[in-house]
Amino acid sequence: MKLLVAVKQVAVLDEDFEIRADGRDVHADFLLRDLNEWDDYSLEEAMKIKEAGAAPVEVVVVCVGAAEADESLRKCLAKGADRAIRVWDEAIEGSDSIAVARLLAAVARREKPDMLFAGVQSSDHAFASTGIATAAFLDWPHAAVLTHLAYTAGGKSAVFRRELEGGELHEMQIECPAVLTIQLGINTPRYASLRSIKQAAAKPIEVLSLEDLNVAPGDVGERGSLSRVRRMYVPDKGRAEMIEGSVEEQAARLAQIIKELAGSAS
Amino acid sequence: MTRDPTAVTRVLFEDFAPAAIAVFYVIAFAAVTVFCFGVYVEVRKYRRGSAADVDGRLLARLQAMIGTVLSHRTIAHRDRAAGAAHRLIFYGFVLLFLGTATITLDYDILGPLFGVHFWQGAFYLWFSLVLDVAGVLLTGGLLYMMYRRGWLKPPKLDYARPDRQPGDPDYDRSGYRREDWAFLWTLLLIVATGYLLEAARLVWLEATPEVSAYRWWSPAGAALAAGLRAAGMSAASGAALRTGLWWFHGLLALLFIAVTPFTKVKHILTAAGSLMLRDPLAAQRLPRVPEQQQRAGAQYITDFSWKQLLSLDACTKCGRCHEVCPARAVGAPLSPRDVILSLREFANRTLESATLPAQAELDVHGKGPGQVAMETLWSCRTCMACVEVCPVAIEHVPVIVQMRRQLVEAGQMDPQLKKTLQTIHKTGNSFGEGRRKRATWTKALPFAVKDARKDPVDVLWFVGDYASFDPRNQRVTQGLAWLLQEAGVDFGILYEGESNAGNDVRRVGEEGLYEVLATSNIESLSAASFKTIVTTDPHSYNTIRNEYPDFGGRYEIEHYTTLLLRLLQEGRLRIAHPLGLRVTFHDPCHLGRFNKGYDAPREILRLLGCELIEMGRCRANSFCCGAGGGRIWMPDPVGLDRPAHNRMREAAAIPGLQVYVVSCPKDLTMFEDALKATGNEGRFVVRELIELVREARGQQQAEGAAGVAA
Repeated sequence: MKLLVAVKQVAVLDEDFEIRADGRDVHADFLLRDLNEWDDYSLEEAMKIKEAGAAPVEVVVVCVGAAEADESLRKCLAKGADRAIRVWDEAIEGSDSIAVARLLAAVARREKPDMLFAGVQSSDHAFASTGIATAAFLDWPHAAVLTHLAYTAGGKSAVFRRELEGGELHEMQIECPAVLTIQLGINTPRYASLRSIKQAAAKPIEVLSLEDLNVAPGDVGERGSLSRVRRMYVPDKGRAEMIEGSVEEQAARLAQIIKELAGSAS
Repeated sequence: MTRDPTAVTRVLFEDFAPAAIAVFYVIAFAAVTVFCFGVYVEVRKYRRGSAADVDGRLLARLQAMIGTVLSHRTIAHRDRAAGAAHRLIFYGFVLLFLGTATITLDYDILGPLFGVHFWQGAFYLWFSLVLDVAGVLLTGGLLYMMYRRGWLKPPKLDYARPDRQPGDPDYDRSGYRREDWAFLWTLLLIVATGYLLEAARLVWLEATPEVSAYRWWSPAGAALAAGLRAAGMSAASGAALRTGLWWFHGLLALLFIAVTPFTKVKHILTAAGSLMLRDPLAAQRLPRVPEQQQRAGAQYITDFSWKQLLSLDACTKCGRCHEVCPARAVGAPLSPRDVILSLREFANRTLESATLPAQAELDVHGKGPGQVAMETLWSCRTCMACVEVCPVAIEHVPVIVQMRRQLVEAGQMDPQLKKTLQTIHKTGNSFGEGRRKRATWTKALPFAVKDARKDPVDVLWFVGDYASFDPRNQRVTQGLAWLLQEAGVDFGILYEGESNAGNDVRRVGEEGLYEVLATSNIESLSAASFKTIVTTDPHSYNTIRNEYPDFGGRYEIEHYTTLLLRLLQEGRLRIAHPLGLRVTFHDPCHLGRFNKGYDAPREILRLLGCELIEMGRCRANSFCCGAGGGRIWMPDPVGLDRPAHNRMREAAAIPGLQVYVVSCPKDLTMFEDALKATGNEGRFVVRELIELVREARGQQQAEGAAGVAA
């Protein structure tokens, strides 16, 4: 049986950064790249099912992204994923989460997994829609924000828990194949040592093009997206102040601010 | 009257029936056979280890080992009484052993083969005298050791394990205690019966002039014989006693030989071997992981090298490592002694059998008998105190780090440590700051600090993570920049080209990440043009100095303490106001014990006009602050004491102490915290040496660290 884990290489802001000339994103020079934190957890969940050993399981990670995403895929391979697939084509640039979901669904049709895991959201764009949209394209049952999963490799269905508002728990059952989005804290992701990452370099990463997936260039990129970024900007500073100094100095400054505010209100 | 000198000798088998002599030889050969078999089993055990990286300068190694053994330098190190007693036992034993070997040579080899006998006449008389004295030495040493074990009971000889609970099947070490006593008693009985046998012989052969006339060449035996005579012993009963004791003494001695490879006695051989294979940089320069090596570290007992397996057998449980270990001192579940003994027991159980057990049974990680728990391995600060103090050159630190490498591979580590390693991988520093922020501290200076990647400099300053990013340490770093500037030193830094030096990453056991960091730094360094490197951080100093050469980075490097001392001595930095402070100095592990940089900081303190009061544990015996080996990235267990607190209490006992001086960024952080935590705030202060130099030049730091002389 097979588990497909969708991962994303997210952008992490460096200390000082500049907005790109077109004003729609941060200049790439100021971005650090890393595997999306949620995806660490969904991969770990897949690895746990594999290692429970109820039936042979192949864990395949898939990522939509340019060549630099290989670094994150290698990290997944280092953690024990059996195979990695990267989908890329120039035309994909500018895709929103829906267009990315269309590609992931195409990969799922090709790979025919028993279950598709995705993180609840990505830490850079935080749409929290890729996983669910993928389920929609596939017309598979889906569930979001899992905090516990009981699934035995080869099983026809899975039982999981979701946390609802107010600390209530939702226990549900879902038929396979399904798309599940995984919440942080569901498990303890393993450490990928540098040695294992280095060794994972020997494992091949399969690169798929739009052609391979039978997706038309018009269905991805900005044309294939339902939304587009108009501009990205840093809002004007609000009224926040970091109070520094000794405890006495901090208290004095705080009292002063309160007096000023009280004064302005009256 | 002159006697026939050939008659002046000692009877050996006199009056023995040929059958009895034959029986003796059979037993003697059996004993030697058992000994040889034991040696074979042990050598086979060692050979089941992996390859060892030992250079082939065997003659030099042999000379060094003989020098160490003859001088007893390492045994007398910080325990002079034990050293003196062991010296008596050693020399007594060696002389008596050589004596016995001499008789064998004369009687069993040269005599039968060539008819040559030399064990007679004047030679025999001197021989008797020397051996009699040797017996006295041996007895004295043994009696003191018994007194020590039985009455003095130093805590280091208590085998209670900090890493196991009473009731654990692996907790009981009473077998070792019995063995210790059996060892002492056996040796004592051999000497005692030797003297008594000699006395009985003298009584028995009183009428033989060749014996009685020269009996005082065996003073102890002769005195004892006089006593026996006075007590009314006849020549005939002397003969009877002699026969009985002869067998008892002989069989005991043969037993001693036979059990040598199987008991504590074997340290005679293994300790010598371990000393001969000593790596003087064992803790300073950790072993690389060879490309073709299957595992990252030591998972199975056979992953240790044959040299390491041999050195496990050298341990005599003297407890010195146990005593000096900072983790053990605060109640952490680690004793270097117990790690070594556990692995030794494990090796004996699994590797002494004719066939090697299945691999699963060779796994040294875990909580079973002889296994080492991860909590134990993670308690180590890699401070090297154990390696430094070990009299038989056991190298605990590489053993522990090699096991940690496997834990890292399996991800079995503290979550915070895991996070820090990932952060270092991502950002190149342990603070998780952007690379560009590394030199932010320079912005507060009114002068520009050169970028050594662009401009050639004389001195390349490798700043290090703590000195670059920690706000408290940044002020010290700025202070050093001022001093270098004022002294006219042409210096520069690598800016974002510098990464964490990797010393502690390597000691954590994340060798892959260490390789990445070392390679990246070496790349930056080779792109820069400089004459020498200076570091603020003793940790960086150690790894660049001792470990980067293995990765192709060879530099002239010093710690800032030696550079500042030179600047002061050359008059390039002048002292305006001698401080007149009562201070103590904490030797950082990586500067002191690791790299012997004891004197420069002390000399600087003297030039600053400080009165230095040493703590009991100083220089090579300095006590780790607890931050080493990556422990600074792991939370300390709640409820346990901390090494830094232990150290603060030691300093606080110095009457009138004003300043606790450190010369390591991590020490500043650790001890300023400890000062508060131990309630010593207000009594004395913790200062970086750099700050004191600045103060003595009348340049107190503008903010924060107010001067202490005021």
